Amino acid sequence: MQSILNFFIKHNHWFLFLLLEGISLVLIVSFNNYQGAAAFTSANSIAGNIYSAFTDIEDYFTLREKNVALVSHNKALLEEIESLRNELGTYKDSALLANAPRPVNGDEYYYNTARVVNINNDKNNYFITIDKGSDDGIKQQMGVFNERGVIGITYTSSDGFTIVLPLLNGKNSLSCKIKDTNSYSTLKWDGDDTRYSYLIDLPNQAGFGIGDTVVTSGFSSIFPEGMPVGAIENIEDSNDGLFFKAKVRLFVDFSSIGNVYVVGNDSREEQEMLENSLKEE
Amino acid sequence: MNKNLLTRIRNFILLLTVQVFVFSRIHLFGYATACIYLIFILKQPRHTKTSELLIWGFLSGLIVDMFNNTPGVHAAAATAMCFARNPILAIFTHKGMADDFIPGVKNIKWGGYMVYSALCIAIFYTLLFMLELFTFSYPSILILCILSSTMLTMLFVAVIELFSSKGQRQ
Repeated sequence: MQSILNFFIKHNHWFLFLLLEGISLVLIVSFNNYQGAAAFTSANSIAGNIYSAFTDIEDYFTLREKNVALVSHNKALLEEIESLRNELGTYKDSALLANAPRPVNGDEYYYNTARVVNINNDKNNYFITIDKGSDDGIKQQMGVFNERGVIGITYTSSDGFTIVLPLLNGKNSLSCKIKDTNSYSTLKWDGDDTRYSYLIDLPNQAGFGIGDTVVTSGFSSIFPEGMPVGAIENIEDSNDGLFFKAKVRLFVDFSSIGNVYVVGNDSREEQEMLENSLKEE
Repeated sequence: MNKNLLTRIRNFILLLTVQVFVFSRIHLFGYATACIYLIFILKQPRHTKTSELLIWGFLSGLIVDMFNNTPGVHAAAATAMCFARNPILAIFTHKGMADDFIPGVKNIKWGGYMVYSALCIAIFYTLLFMLELFTFSYPSILILCILSSTMLTMLFVAVIELFSSKGQRQ
């Protein structure tokens, strides 16, 4: 008995080593199914708040650039208002006659603003943390974008912070289409250049070319239809000859993201429930 | 003893802060990331118990993980490195030396200190990248990541050692 006890005391670091490695492995594995994972990431309140304070300081150094971006965004919005106003004038009369129906997918979407507090730009593990969480009504699988285009999809949130999986994360794929056509495809990052992503299964048919704009398809109801994603840089045949693979230059500059918008959809859960019930049958 | 502990905690916080806000954000050529917080472990006195090292290593790894969104990866790698540190340090010590010392150029010379650090750090990165990539499908990338990160970290280990050993002499 004494010798067994001595053995344990003498080799206590072995047991401690195995225990700590065990804890680490559990953490690694449990992060993959993301329930409850928020506690050990930058979504937890300690890390989140420190990042938030750090970003406050950092923000001062980029104020000038951000102001320029905001002003240009404002200008674009003002121009849009002006052109819409003109358009409205021309349609006013015909609208009274035609009593045009409203777009089907208009109202279900609601918007929220947030600020990026951390960007983890590791190739193998690209994440963005934003300073809004479940207290602000942010849930999993909501769309995140800024004035330039689509950024990513929310992944997991705590009370005050949320982790966003950007387009630059291998776990992410986004349903897209070419603007003004019916060519639908999936956007997936290849893990290399942060400026480009790829449309991997573009149907082999004419009707699009280099320079065309890629927008969201609206199929998954994460993003409304027609939100800008990027522009086609070049097109190549995929290996099976059935599809095209297109290199897309992303509109969003992932090295400088400050303020973002989060878009949610009220009818998404209903749509998902319906689709799942079909699958079960 | 108390003062000693306070200095340790100060160094611990200092290294982790710099790690999290500066070094973790720099990925040189997309492959090399320096982990200077390991210097804290390298610089623990010779007779530090392995179990104590393990706890320091696990804690520091866990904190870095928290900020990097890589739960468990750094913790596992740093714990493994701490487990191997005392045996590795034993290779470079011999009987004529002072009983307890902090590893550095003064006692185990530049050659000894560099090889000791490189061995520890290589163990750390081997585990880190194996856990992070979680696959053996790209052995060339894995080896490239391990080698480049080890060399980058060694550069900082050498620079910090150069400055701290000069500071002590004056």
